[in-house]
Amino acid sequence: MRNLDPRRARWIRIRMGLLCGLMALGLGGVVNGAYRIEVEDGDAWYDLAERQRQRRLHITPKRGTIYDRNGAPLAESVEVPSVSVDAVEMLRGVDEQYVPMRIQQYAERIAQALSLPAEDVVEKLSRRRRFAWLKRRVSEQEVERVRALGDRTQRYPVRGLVIEGEGRRFYPNRELAGPLLGFVATDGEGKEGIELSLEHELRGNASEVRGLRDRSGRLIFSEGIEDEQALAGHNVHLTIDKGIQFTAERELEAAMKTYEAIGGSIVVVNPENGEVLAMASSPGFNPNDYSQSDPGSRRNRCVVDRFEPGSTVKMFAIASALAAKSVAPSATIYCEEGNMAIDNVVIHDTHVHKWLTLPQILSQSSNIGTAKIALGLGEQRLYEGLRRFGFGDLTGVPLPGESVGVLRPRGRPWVQVETASAAFGQGISVTTLQLAMAAAAIANRGRLLEPILIKRITDGTGVTLSEPSPRVRRDAVPSSIARMVSEMLVAVTEGDGTGVEAAIPGFRVAGKTGTAQKIDPATGKYTDTHYVASFVGFVPAERPRLAIAVVLDEPLGGTYGGGSVAAPVFRRIGEMALRYLGVTPRGSVPMKLSEVAEQSGEDIAANTYQVLSEARAAAAPISTGVVTPSAPLKTGELRVPDLTGLPQREAVRSAATLGLDPSVEGTGRLTRQEPPPGTVLPKGSPLKLIFEPPT
Amino acid sequence: MIRGDSLSARDRDHFDWPLFIAAVSIAVLGVVNLYSATSVYSGSRAELYISQVYWLFMGGIIGGVLIAIDYRHLERLGYVLYTFGVFSLALVFVLARDVRGSARWIEFGAFRFQPSEFMKVFLVIALAKFLHDDPRNEGRTLRDLAIPATLTAVPALLVLKQPDLGTATILVFVFLTIAAVTRVRWKSAALFVVSILVAVPILWEYVLLDYQRARVLVFLHPEEDLLHRGWHAHHSRVAIGNGGLFGNGYLRGTQNQFLFLPDQFTDFPFPVFAEEWGFVGCVVLVCLYAFLVVWGIRIASMAKDRFGAVLGVGCAAIIFWHAVINLGMTSGALPVVGVTLPLFSYGGSSVTTVMVAIALLMSVSMRRYSGVASLDRL
Repeated sequence: MRNLDPRRARWIRIRMGLLCGLMALGLGGVVNGAYRIEVEDGDAWYDLAERQRQRRLHITPKRGTIYDRNGAPLAESVEVPSVSVDAVEMLRGVDEQYVPMRIQQYAERIAQALSLPAEDVVEKLSRRRRFAWLKRRVSEQEVERVRALGDRTQRYPVRGLVIEGEGRRFYPNRELAGPLLGFVATDGEGKEGIELSLEHELRGNASEVRGLRDRSGRLIFSEGIEDEQALAGHNVHLTIDKGIQFTAERELEAAMKTYEAIGGSIVVVNPENGEVLAMASSPGFNPNDYSQSDPGSRRNRCVVDRFEPGSTVKMFAIASALAAKSVAPSATIYCEEGNMAIDNVVIHDTHVHKWLTLPQILSQSSNIGTAKIALGLGEQRLYEGLRRFGFGDLTGVPLPGESVGVLRPRGRPWVQVETASAAFGQGISVTTLQLAMAAAAIANRGRLLEPILIKRITDGTGVTLSEPSPRVRRDAVPSSIARMVSEMLVAVTEGDGTGVEAAIPGFRVAGKTGTAQKIDPATGKYTDTHYVASFVGFVPAERPRLAIAVVLDEPLGGTYGGGSVAAPVFRRIGEMALRYLGVTPRGSVPMKLSEVAEQSGEDIAANTYQVLSEARAAAAPISTGVVTPSAPLKTGELRVPDLTGLPQREAVRSAATLGLDPSVEGTGRLTRQEPPPGTVLPKGSPLKLIFEPPT
Repeated sequence: MIRGDSLSARDRDHFDWPLFIAAVSIAVLGVVNLYSATSVYSGSRAELYISQVYWLFMGGIIGGVLIAIDYRHLERLGYVLYTFGVFSLALVFVLARDVRGSARWIEFGAFRFQPSEFMKVFLVIALAKFLHDDPRNEGRTLRDLAIPATLTAVPALLVLKQPDLGTATILVFVFLTIAAVTRVRWKSAALFVVSILVAVPILWEYVLLDYQRARVLVFLHPEEDLLHRGWHAHHSRVAIGNGGLFGNGYLRGTQNQFLFLPDQFTDFPFPVFAEEWGFVGCVVLVCLYAFLVVWGIRIASMAKDRFGAVLGVGCAAIIFWHAVINLGMTSGALPVVGVTLPLFSYGGSSVTTVMVAIALLMSVSMRRYSGVASLDRL
């Protein structure tokens, strides 16, 4: 201000200056604050921001598929839609006082769309979490209704509803091989069976991926995400043959019903390489809804249960004695006319005989004859002999809960009577798999193999990661002895042998029946009413392709002998499997399945086959788009591959890779395609893929 | 006393370029920053920066008119404008639209305006007129300040009842700033301070609403309630801190781009700016505001009459308090009250008000040489 006396002017300037100073101080304070936040504590705030926008995603990879040896899926993961809600998003911008009212309104609409009780939905929304499942595994109609609710073009859209695919384990063949496969719990963890023992392969690399997200949690982009295929679980190809497995289970089931047995197990192996072709355990369960099943029916009796095998062990005792040369192949043994006392125990034979040759001892299943041979062999050598056949040892099969079995019950050498009874399979315990592998050893020139259950493991892209090769555990007996015992065992299924029921027309069957008394748990003594009936053998005897062990627990109804209960099961399975494998009485000629069906006529195997072929047709083998061209294709044309059975993603990808324009209808598994497989189409043609949810 | 209505050629020569350049720089930065702040949205929100430019033009035209006519006309209109402002504030309670629990707007057809924003300028004019008409030389007692205090209290209480704690605070602070440059007796000043100390607890207990109290509490203990009441302050600080020394670069502020910042185009444009331009950018921006304020005070001290001087101080105070409170609350130094950042925050009323304040400063500055100084005492 001018025209002022200087004193006053100065005073005013001082005041103004002071004000300026104070204001500058205020702004300086702001700068200081910014300095503190941006520079001094900058790193801490930066980290905080980093954490806020970065989200760790736990990508649950797709669980690997379990295939049978021919590529038919036994267990696969299917994406099924599930509905979740982001309650925070849903209620954003709603005034606090209206929140309960809104929740009520939204809940009623959601409850209606998903057929849920409204109170449950209210409760879930009231928690106001960023994530809550509303309903898992919803139907296509429900998905539609939820979409309609969230449709922003309508008047009152419900925000925050999320539909996402959730992996669900699906067993297309239901009960088939249930106890072998095991099941996967809702948390995605394999329980029991293959699902448990190969968990680390099937699960895949659950990896943590860092992604950027915005405030509403949406993923902006992700850094360093690996190829999804690389994350996916490995596929496991089993040596199991779905067809043989099916027959084994079917026959086991039938026998269980006929003889009112409480349990049963069957193992079918290829004696040449130890591959397990079937492993049936009954009662079984449907792993699709394992929660409905009795826990007892989930165990794989083939490897978990041990039992006193009875007479089937005789072949191994005699083989050991022959190998030790404690008995001559041509020897005849005096069988004491049905009764022989060892120490103070009397051993009985069911069939009374005087002198028997070794084949006769086996075919008549003479306990006394075997006991004498065993005593001649000696306690230690018998024990070692049985050990050599793999008894009292883990087979090494990759399955959980395998039993070792017991040879020397109290860990001390057998006394005489124990040696004698061990030779006819009482007082010791084994598993069905051990029996099958031991029989396969005799079939395979004396070589005991490790059972192979996993044919190969492939990664998500189909690259083979591991492929177990046959492994010989040891030579149980020399090959000449094995050959000799094989011939002797053929006598069992011929003439008046105990195992004639196991004979397969046109083939020479080597095997041995077993009827073991069970110990009554109440008295601790053997009972006359409860037995374990079994038949163990292989076929064809001269060049074995199959070794089969059939065990039935407590068959009742008057018939309990292995020869009458288990041997027919052996025959039916063997008959079917031989035809199935193309093994004919004249040798191995590959035969078309349809021809087999024509020839089988009235035979039981025909029925078996009928069902089998239906089973095969129901789940067509997975084809990855490779088709055999029957007519030459012009350029720019392609043949529609059969994609049925594939999960949605894979089907769409395969179709797109081939140059088709896939469109998707429905969810679940691919059941139909339009146009049908095999149709020749120009490139870029539309292909409609119709999915249906698993039943 | 008043020489003429139109701008004389001599006045035009005195156009205050530094003031103009500082204001334009802030406005340009503001629009550029607003573009970034709303770039995360789609639709009409992303177009807000264009509306902001319209508002700036609108404010510019009003400002041009104000510059053209002599500010001393406002002296005569002082109480009329003040009454109009108070009336509008009262009208808010009748016509207001409820936005987030606060009623602040009046609608005129497609227009909405916020009387509380304009009230700031009207109050400054009214106070300037009162002090102009009260030419005493000796120091003022509290009783002498009773009328200006009442002039302030009426709109401040009306605004507080809307409720809008931020604007009420600004009104009171502007008054206090003006009071501080008028001569007040030391005893009176001391008494005033004591009465403030008494009044604060009473205000706290009986006048402040729950959410306003909550904001202050959150300010005192920000870490206790991050998810709800401390949300704004927390995210704003995270964004500022994320900027570091040199910032993430324009349009690259992740906290803003990923929508972590709430209200980033109204009350929180500063974190967006700080995140993108870093501490260096902040210093530049604060320096611009500081320059504007200090230059305003300088204009006031050189004004040729008391009305102009008070007007200058008042307008500078409006800008200063807005800037300090907004920057303070975004950087966590002050509680979060809804105070805009001059020329940075989106909003027609806010932009226009700031433009008017700057125009008044310009007017005072340009006319400091014209006419005869009628009053030599402040």
